[in-house]
Amino acid sequence: MSMNFSEFKRKLGAEPRNEDPEFLRARHSSPEFKEAAEAADRFEAKLERAASVPLPEGLIDDILALAEHSPERSAGRNWWPMAVAASVLIAVGAAGLGWKMNHRWESVEEYLVDHYRHDGDKMVVMADGSSANDVQAVLSKFDVSAAPAFAEIVSVIKYCPTPDGKGVHMVVNTENGPVTVIYMPHTQVADREMLAFDNVEALLVDLQSGSAAIIGAGVKSVSELYTLVQASIIPTPISS
Amino acid sequence: MPVMNTEAGRQAKFNQLAQAYGSDLYRYAMWICGNDALAKDLVQETYLRAWKALDKLNDTGAAKSWLITILRREYARTFERKVPKFTDVDSVVVPDDRELEPDDRAEIKQLRQGIMKLAPKYREPLLMQVVLGYSCEEISKQLDISKSAVMTQLFRAREQLKQRLRKDGVTGNVHELF
Repeated sequence: MSMNFSEFKRKLGAEPRNEDPEFLRARHSSPEFKEAAEAADRFEAKLERAASVPLPEGLIDDILALAEHSPERSAGRNWWPMAVAASVLIAVGAAGLGWKMNHRWESVEEYLVDHYRHDGDKMVVMADGSSANDVQAVLSKFDVSAAPAFAEIVSVIKYCPTPDGKGVHMVVNTENGPVTVIYMPHTQVADREMLAFDNVEALLVDLQSGSAAIIGAGVKSVSELYTLVQASIIPTPISS
Repeated sequence: MPVMNTEAGRQAKFNQLAQAYGSDLYRYAMWICGNDALAKDLVQETYLRAWKALDKLNDTGAAKSWLITILRREYARTFERKVPKFTDVDSVVVPDDRELEPDDRAEIKQLRQGIMKLAPKYREPLLMQVVLGYSCEEISKQLDISKSAVMTQLFRAREQLKQRLRKDGVTGNVHELF
């Protein structure tokens, strides 16, 4: 039994590229069917065009590099920060640094500049109110937890790459405006080292487990968060 | 492809997955999270998890579906509550449409906005079909809903997009679409 027009239109709307022989035959079975099929083809071409998204440069290379640089393989690799002065001003090249997962950051300073330029501003803009539960859930993956005073002011949280594997990117709301905190579970830093790049300041924090970088506009905004961050991100107590 | 247990074999298998599906995964991620940086993070996180669990993938024919499952879970787990809703087509990086006729450009833009505004239950199967090239059967398996439900959602998704074009009064070729 041949397909009726109503059924044909339904299939056309659901799967216009369907190659079922009966469907293909129906496309040419009458002028009415043919016209509907051609209109659907035109719409589909526009839909495919609308849905097409250009690929970022180096996407596949970055994916390929993941295996090479995964924490499994780099376990045991010790990262030691460069000896640094108390305050370091990082010279910023006009070209900037490309964000690459396969980038071997030579220092935590280079990593921070690279990372913040990649999505620091975007993350600050999208701050929309993560719950304290989100914060604890994400941090628990690294066997640390956050004190409520800190967890409650985190407005965005997500995983992110760090020099030594996966870490956490947070944006916190403070009286001085939004401030970025990057938790680096396996990276050692020189405590209280200050960096300045672009229009932001960064303060490194040595934690009981891993380290963090506080990044924001102005020394005051990052310094005032130092004590809270250091006291708040702590190893999760082992339950007996 | 035979299962290779050596490190080189594992690497080769991973490379094949990256080359074959990395682009599709990025495009899909881009549409579901609407942000270039997040989409890249999502794809990288997906492949990182895939690398760690690669030994569990015995059927390479199911690799694409396996990767999409990882990506969807990762999105739900990590980003779903943090990503702002789409409000502007400019939030999605789109190809240069300058070579198109003005009417076509307007329609494409309206369609992009329409895709963004579709409810997830319509948007997701539509993107699986249009971006990933999935059949209704494959979408049904991926979303764990009946094939009939998938067809209904796809039909309604397209109808909503067409209605949007009519409602927004895009002129010119739009009348030829229906």
